[in-house]
Amino acid sequence: MKEKYYAGFMTERPTWRKARRAFLKDMSILVTDVLFLASLWWLGSYIWNDLVHQTRDFLSVPWWIMVISVIELALVWQSFGLSPGMRLLGRRLIDEQDGPWWISLGRRSIRVLLLHVMPALLFQVILTTRYTPWHDRFLGFCSASAAEIDEIRVPWYRSSSAIAVIALGVGMYLASALFTQIDLVKLVTNASSTSEIWNKIFHPDWSILRLGIRLLIVTLFMAFMATFFGVIVAIPLSFLAARNLSHGFIGRTIYTVLRILMSIIRSIQPFIWAIIFVVWVRTGAAAFAGALALFVHSVADLTKLYSERLESIDPGPVEAIRATGAGRLQVILYGVVPQIVNPYLSFTIYRWDINVRMATIIGLVGGGGIGQRLLQLTRNWVWDQAIVLMLLIMFAVMLMDYSSSRLRERLN
Amino acid sequence: MMDDLIRIEHLTKIYERGEVLALNDVSFTVKRGEFLVLLGLSGSGKSTLLRCINRLIEPTAGTIIFDGIDVTRASSRQLRQIRRRMAMIFQQFNLVKRSTVLTNVLSGRLGYVSPAASAIHKFSKQDIDMAMADLDRVGIPEQAYKRADELSGGQQQRVGIARALMQQPDLLMADEPVSALDPATSHSVMQHLETMNREDGVTVIASLHFLSLARRYGTKILALKDGEIVFEGLPTEIDEARFMEIYGEEAKEVEVR
Repeated sequence: MKEKYYAGFMTERPTWRKARRAFLKDMSILVTDVLFLASLWWLGSYIWNDLVHQTRDFLSVPWWIMVISVIELALVWQSFGLSPGMRLLGRRLIDEQDGPWWISLGRRSIRVLLLHVMPALLFQVILTTRYTPWHDRFLGFCSASAAEIDEIRVPWYRSSSAIAVIALGVGMYLASALFTQIDLVKLVTNASSTSEIWNKIFHPDWSILRLGIRLLIVTLFMAFMATFFGVIVAIPLSFLAARNLSHGFIGRTIYTVLRILMSIIRSIQPFIWAIIFVVWVRTGAAAFAGALALFVHSVADLTKLYSERLESIDPGPVEAIRATGAGRLQVILYGVVPQIVNPYLSFTIYRWDINVRMATIIGLVGGGGIGQRLLQLTRNWVWDQAIVLMLLIMFAVMLMDYSSSRLRERLN
Repeated sequence: MMDDLIRIEHLTKIYERGEVLALNDVSFTVKRGEFLVLLGLSGSGKSTLLRCINRLIEPTAGTIIFDGIDVTRASSRQLRQIRRRMAMIFQQFNLVKRSTVLTNVLSGRLGYVSPAASAIHKFSKQDIDMAMADLDRVGIPEQAYKRADELSGGQQQRVGIARALMQQPDLLMADEPVSALDPATSHSVMQHLETMNREDGVTVIASLHFLSLARRYGTKILALKDGEIVFEGLPTEIDEARFMEIYGEEAKEVEVR
């Protein structure tokens, strides 16, 4: 069972293991880059076809051309800049030689050529015990893990993210100028056609106030139900979705599945959920559909907020309670719960605030409440009544905003 | 009646992540009633050793026999029963800051009460009386209903000791109990440990940073360096040369009086 570890175990790992690790890392970086570029390629060709040829298809290029160009692009990116793979896996290419930039560029181009014999590195890893790949040593480069080197200051206009942002910005501007059909003349000459709307808005019809208040109350109840049941479901889920509380294979699997599921649900906007549920629960229950939509989104959002809070609790007390011989439930009740009660309350109030705002918007897609009536009124050109509802919504949202921030201040 | 409370054989701990060897084939025994002091630099494996004994950290290899029971092979139920006989106090006190002092002390009793009763925060009259008595013993009975984070460092560590007393332990493990305290408070905390050791017959294992404290309170000293035992013996046996061996060539002894 027992064997002594050699003296330098902590500091010196065998060099062949270092080399093997570095090689595997380089390969994973290449694979990441290739996958990234391939998806970009597909997306780009699809959008291009859609916009230019009005067809729903990818560009018809033989597959091998695409594979080769994607790999080539990845190699170029890895030699001249910081590729997504390098960024993700934390690897940097360091130029160890000083010299004018064009020599460096030259050496980088040669590196791209030499990288084509990368499979030969396999033998190198087996045969030698040193690891800096031959091509890098030859050209005066050295790869290092991002953690090992200090942040190297690059002027902002030379960082690859800045270049990408600028390129994207220019591209977006050109594309949107083409596709939105900007017409400034119309903006000025045609303004008078809205005069009726403005006129009615400044002469509100207060007869709808009673109905408006009733609808507002329905909306607030919608938000309340969604928050209430959202909290009830999200609290137990948050314990399963906290990394520091999930142990073992099963725990980790549940953690991963929950986290992915929750981020998918969260990324779908509440009003899209509302559209789904309006179709789902059908007639007469518009407010129910809206509440359901808010509920689903609240569960996902609160689970994320709660579990992140759980992950940042002080592990000390938990350790101390475990050391007294307490069971799992006792550890949670005495070590974890006291640390999270206030943040949980604060997040809940925050979410209740959001739900009130959302409930008014959700009405616009048929989710019931004051928003739905507002939409009907604007469609029927009853602007003098619509403005009353708008004022009511504004009032409710401002009140919620103020009271929730005051409450949360108290808690912290 | 066996003389050894703890027997540790070939204990090894490797942290998989960094492949760091924290404990390397450590073997020693602790007799009943001993006050064992662990010495060593930060990172020498003292905390890991203590946490392996009650398996807050799972050892990689080796056995730990506590009062004739193999801790390393205990089921989770047995482990909880073993843990309640081993109290522990910590460098950062590890109190639940938002709970009251009394609740913190009572939580030392959790290994004894049923999960259902503790779920509704119900403790028996005896337990509450015992908690008050323990707070009285460490000299802070008037703080019982304050929140734990309102107390000073020394007072918090005394709450930690009261929590340990609630377990009625056979063994007390103290992980650098006075490192976060000033010298005067350090002695008062150490004296509480000494009283437990002398009067209640609790075996103590404490990791300390100051040789002077080790000499004053320890009955036996164990020194670790890079996860291995480099010295085992009486406090009086540590001289200049031994000290250098444990703490490295540049070390100078600093005293706490």
